[in-house]
Amino acid sequence: MKKAIVGFLATALLVLVFAVESYAIPAFSRKYRTSCSTCHYAAPMLNAFGKAFKNNGYRYPAGADPEMTKEEPVSLGSEAYKKVWPDAIWPADIPGTSPVSVWAVNRINYAALSDVKWEFETPHEVEILYAGTIGESFSFFGEVEIENDAGDLEIAFPLALQYDDNPALHVRMGMVHADPTPNHLKLTRNHYNVASFRSRNGWRFRDDHAGLEVWGAGNGSGERGGFTYRVGVVNGQGLSDMNKEKDFYGKMTYKIGGLGEVGGTEGAGSNASEFFLDDNVTLGAFMYTGTASKTGVADEDFTVFGGDVDFWYQRFILNGTLMLMDSRITGTPKRNSMVYYAQANAVLYPWLIGLVRYEWEDRDTDQDLVKPVNAIIPGITLMARANVKLIFEFKKFLDEANKKNDTFGFQINFGI
Amino acid sequence: MTKRIALSLFVFLAFFVSSAVIAGGIRGKVKARGWKHSGDAVVHIDKVPGATFTAPEKHATMDQRNLVFVPHILPVLAGTTVDYQNSDDVLHNVFSPDKCAEKFNLGTWPKGQTRSYSFKEAGCFPVMLCNVHPEMEAYIVVLENPYYAVSAKDGSYEIKNVPPGKYTLKIWHEKLKGQSVKIEVPEKGEVVADFEIKR
Repeated sequence: MKKAIVGFLATALLVLVFAVESYAIPAFSRKYRTSCSTCHYAAPMLNAFGKAFKNNGYRYPAGADPEMTKEEPVSLGSEAYKKVWPDAIWPADIPGTSPVSVWAVNRINYAALSDVKWEFETPHEVEILYAGTIGESFSFFGEVEIENDAGDLEIAFPLALQYDDNPALHVRMGMVHADPTPNHLKLTRNHYNVASFRSRNGWRFRDDHAGLEVWGAGNGSGERGGFTYRVGVVNGQGLSDMNKEKDFYGKMTYKIGGLGEVGGTEGAGSNASEFFLDDNVTLGAFMYTGTASKTGVADEDFTVFGGDVDFWYQRFILNGTLMLMDSRITGTPKRNSMVYYAQANAVLYPWLIGLVRYEWEDRDTDQDLVKPVNAIIPGITLMARANVKLIFEFKKFLDEANKKNDTFGFQINFGI
Repeated sequence: MTKRIALSLFVFLAFFVSSAVIAGGIRGKVKARGWKHSGDAVVHIDKVPGATFTAPEKHATMDQRNLVFVPHILPVLAGTTVDYQNSDDVLHNVFSPDKCAEKFNLGTWPKGQTRSYSFKEAGCFPVMLCNVHPEMEAYIVVLENPYYAVSAKDGSYEIKNVPPGKYTLKIWHEKLKGQSVKIEVPEKGEVVADFEIKR
């Protein structure tokens, strides 16, 4: 029994590095008595208001959270106790009902080269999500994720506690946003190649990064568009650091036009009304520098620089991310890599979204022998209900080495 | 001059007294079976023979506050303009998918502003929706005379100052089946009409 428990805990700790951050939180629907599409383009992809809600520390913009909250919170001390501090604990409140939701993912997979070409992976994953606010200045977001990975059970439990001074200044501890890829735009079951690309010692953006982050957002001129920034320090590879070095990262974006990054409706009237519309262009730049360790080999120092562009016009979205990595391991030649993707979405109906993504990955730009991997991913996302999503997706490799690795996937997700 | 004032005063008083006396009322209770409460049912006189009614110049108002349309049910006389106000610090929209309201869509507008639409067709009960917040829903009940009332949550309603006569009294509900009853409003006093409505 003891062995089983130790084994379970060891597995849990190991798989933490495979954690994937999720955003879809039906608990917020219950708290505010509002539909998923108030915040989501197609859950978990956020629309402009969803981003403003997140940028306010999971609160309604402009201090309107108390009046928008339909579930009465439970007081942990009356407001007047602020006058008593430091002779009493500062007052706060917690959500009136348990802020827990479930997000389930089922898949049917086709892999051209696999022995079992067609496979029912139902379920692929179950996530127990919890998120909310603690009084005026703290918020939290976490999940317990149980995932099937080729027959092995993976468990992860990333979480973050955040101090929200104001929209321009949050301090986040735990699961931070070291991954610069726009997960708020992700519609596909395939991860972004930029997020999945590994350094020589196995580090990648997609894995969970535990650490400390300072971040914030603000509106631009006329309360339209605006900026976001984040800087942080993380272990680099999971909950337990694999080396004595810490990794550092940062990202900045500037949004031109569209809803303000922290909300507000000033000057925002138009004849359009759909929840997924927000004409704007957002430009971003990011960096990450760290040390990756692997048993039996020398440590790898690496640096990543990159940028992304996100263009929303009417029913169309174009976005792309470019990442350049240089990797240094003592005694081996320096490796330079380049990875990018470009994606286009079109809302055919509010419940039917077509997309196509092109990916390019050149692991060693100085070595002609290492051929780049490139692929095209056409797909359709269908929202059967606001909380039930179907994805049909094909990944077609265009390079010679992988051209038989094509995959097709059907995925159905639901959240409650 | 004094005579003219006295005559005007007499005519005014005569009109006021006659209106007050020669008009009855309708009251009653609505019981809504299979619904959360018995409120928000619109009880109204179907037709008033020989009479025409002009829509008021003053606009009716429907607010959008805390992601809810207020009121949920708004009966108006045909021709009335409704101002939709946004009291939230988020963008709101109002549209109706119903043909009798020309499938209007007012776009989106920020806090503190209003946009308007005039409802022309009596007998039209269009639903009001917000494209930004799909859970929001309200109804405008467009009627051809001003003799109507919206039931309170306990089901009670009252229509005052109804000219005496025989009428068809109708009830409309957003989810439950409507009904009609024949009534006769006396010159003085009230007539009682109760309804039990269901799916």
